[in-house]
Amino acid sequence: MAANTKASSGPAGAPLVVKEDEEQETPAAPGTGAGGADNRGSERGRPSGRRGRTIALPRRAPASPMAPPRPSRTAALRPEETAGLPERLIGLAFDAFGPSYLRDLAREIDEAIARAPLELNALGYDPWGFQRDAARRCFLATALLYRWWFRVEARGLEHLPAGRLLLIGNHAGQIALDAAMIATAGLLEGNPPRLIRGMGEYWLPRLPWIGTLMVRSGSVVGTPKNCVDLLEHGEAVVAFPEGVRGMNKSWSERYQLQQFGRGFMRLALRTRTPIIPVATVGSEEQAPSLGSFEPLAKLLGMPAFPLVLTPIPLPVKYHIEFGEPMWFEGDPDDEDRVIEEKTEEVKERIAEMLASGLERRAGIFF
Amino acid sequence: MKVLITGVAGAIGRLVARRLLEKHEVVGLDTAVWPGRPRELTLHRVDLRKKGTDDIFRRERPDTVLHLGSVRHTFDETLRHDVNVVGTKKLLDLCAAHEVRRVIVLSSSYVYGALPENPFYMDEDTPLSVSRHYPDIRDLAELDGLATTFLWRYPEIATSILRPVSALGRRAHSTMAGYLRLDFSPVVTGFDPMLQFIDEDDLARAIALCVEGNQRGIFNIVGPGALSLRSGIRLAGGTALSLPDPLCRALVGTLFSLGLAPAPSDAVDFLKYPCTIDGRAFREATGFTAEHDLVQSLRSVRG
Repeated sequence: MAANTKASSGPAGAPLVVKEDEEQETPAAPGTGAGGADNRGSERGRPSGRRGRTIALPRRAPASPMAPPRPSRTAALRPEETAGLPERLIGLAFDAFGPSYLRDLAREIDEAIARAPLELNALGYDPWGFQRDAARRCFLATALLYRWWFRVEARGLEHLPAGRLLLIGNHAGQIALDAAMIATAGLLEGNPPRLIRGMGEYWLPRLPWIGTLMVRSGSVVGTPKNCVDLLEHGEAVVAFPEGVRGMNKSWSERYQLQQFGRGFMRLALRTRTPIIPVATVGSEEQAPSLGSFEPLAKLLGMPAFPLVLTPIPLPVKYHIEFGEPMWFEGDPDDEDRVIEEKTEEVKERIAEMLASGLERRAGIFF
Repeated sequence: MKVLITGVAGAIGRLVARRLLEKHEVVGLDTAVWPGRPRELTLHRVDLRKKGTDDIFRRERPDTVLHLGSVRHTFDETLRHDVNVVGTKKLLDLCAAHEVRRVIVLSSSYVYGALPENPFYMDEDTPLSVSRHYPDIRDLAELDGLATTFLWRYPEIATSILRPVSALGRRAHSTMAGYLRLDFSPVVTGFDPMLQFIDEDDLARAIALCVEGNQRGIFNIVGPGALSLRSGIRLAGGTALSLPDPLCRALVGTLFSLGLAPAPSDAVDFLKYPCTIDGRAFREATGFTAEHDLVQSLRSVRG
């Protein structure tokens, strides 16, 4: 284990602002930024080789990438400006004739979205394409799965401190329902509710509807820039370093963590973000697969084509455990070997949580 | 300060010229006329690529050159390429030869291209990928590249390259404004990318601010936030016509060849994937923030 690694729970709610950040942030007066993009190369400067030294946040202060919020002078929006006609009719019909259980659930989601720390503009969009009304519909669907299909039991949500967070979990189940259930847990059971944002595969935006739903419900394409921007803005991001290796694992590989990517650790070090290990028990059995049929995957341009044995995910019981925050320090540009020691530490923690979760449960469906 | 503005008779050129005239001497260059232009403005009707331009530099000796004179519409490919690439090259050479101290080139955020894997906030280091799927407007990326080369080659000249998002307003002739003015704006079924806009007045103010500053570098310029394509169409008072990708491309292609759509079928990528940018560097360098509201700007598109 790296000697400089400190894995302890931070004070809940403590702002993660570091002194250097503040100093960088102030001199943004006109004139000092002379050069903008062109002299960034030199600004970035490689941190001197010593390993484990705490370094200042590279590049620029964690200013938010969108324009600062300003008082709105907009006249009230007319209904036809907020949504298309079919959408508005369905909304009215739902409010009038929808089953009361669904209406209550929708109200619960509305309240959670209202309480979550979000920055919405006049049209309900946040700076990353999340939209209040579209997200409400997405979360209504996932909340039904959460309550009735997977009967999710979430524990440890009190471990989510305010401010930037990187949730790291095991990934399985052929489709990213684990991410959806983690996000639903954060919204419905977090106190205060948190919008947990997924980092989607690069090919998802190419799919009609799926890509749009992904963005409207708060997720983004999983590029490093998106991740850094979100974390610097104080958001909670969930990532699965197993990636496709994990999502499309076969039945025989269930609960065996695949190789972890290192990118998440570099981003966590660069943005000084605590890591929350998340263990999901259940997802690994929801869609038994024989493996991936590579030629077809290649043909369709998909990362994998799983040979799934069930037409829909099985109603397995989900147990999601959010672990205590892990804080890491070090040089984000360190050698792979050094970064890997840290990612292994997270992987081990998740493996332990998975083992205890599997021990606790009564059976796959209970 | 004496500012020479190319493309001064365009919508943005007029707005910037009026702002700059309050404090500076302004010389305009355009092939088009500007009826009712301010008296203090000297307008030379000349083509950038022709001989007359050299002599204007010799006689007027501008300290600052603001290059807005590029062709944005796609109806005439050859003219577009000729003006944007050959014209820009010639102008930059003249700036170097006549001891111009400050050069500002208006590029566009389109140069990054609309790709599915684009991050939400692309910064100025993002590669210019527009020609990957939309080769017709590669000259925009080439114009930007020429200006970037110039920026590095002449460290003594304070060069700025501005990449604003689509301008909106009653006067703006941006492709996006043209698209939003259609009665039925074609969209792609299942896709609804986020878009950023800037009000034409805000853009003119940003450019004027940059002219008066001395920031060297490449800057994205953003307006007051983002909203989805369909929300934008609704606010502009249009109707979204949802078509599957191949049909949408066929329709846009056909309309374009008839002169009824503002861009060819390759531009459909901009209706599917985001091309949204990070405006932090410009904000930090100049203190600029947009004053106009997104909703108001969109409502004003139809005048």
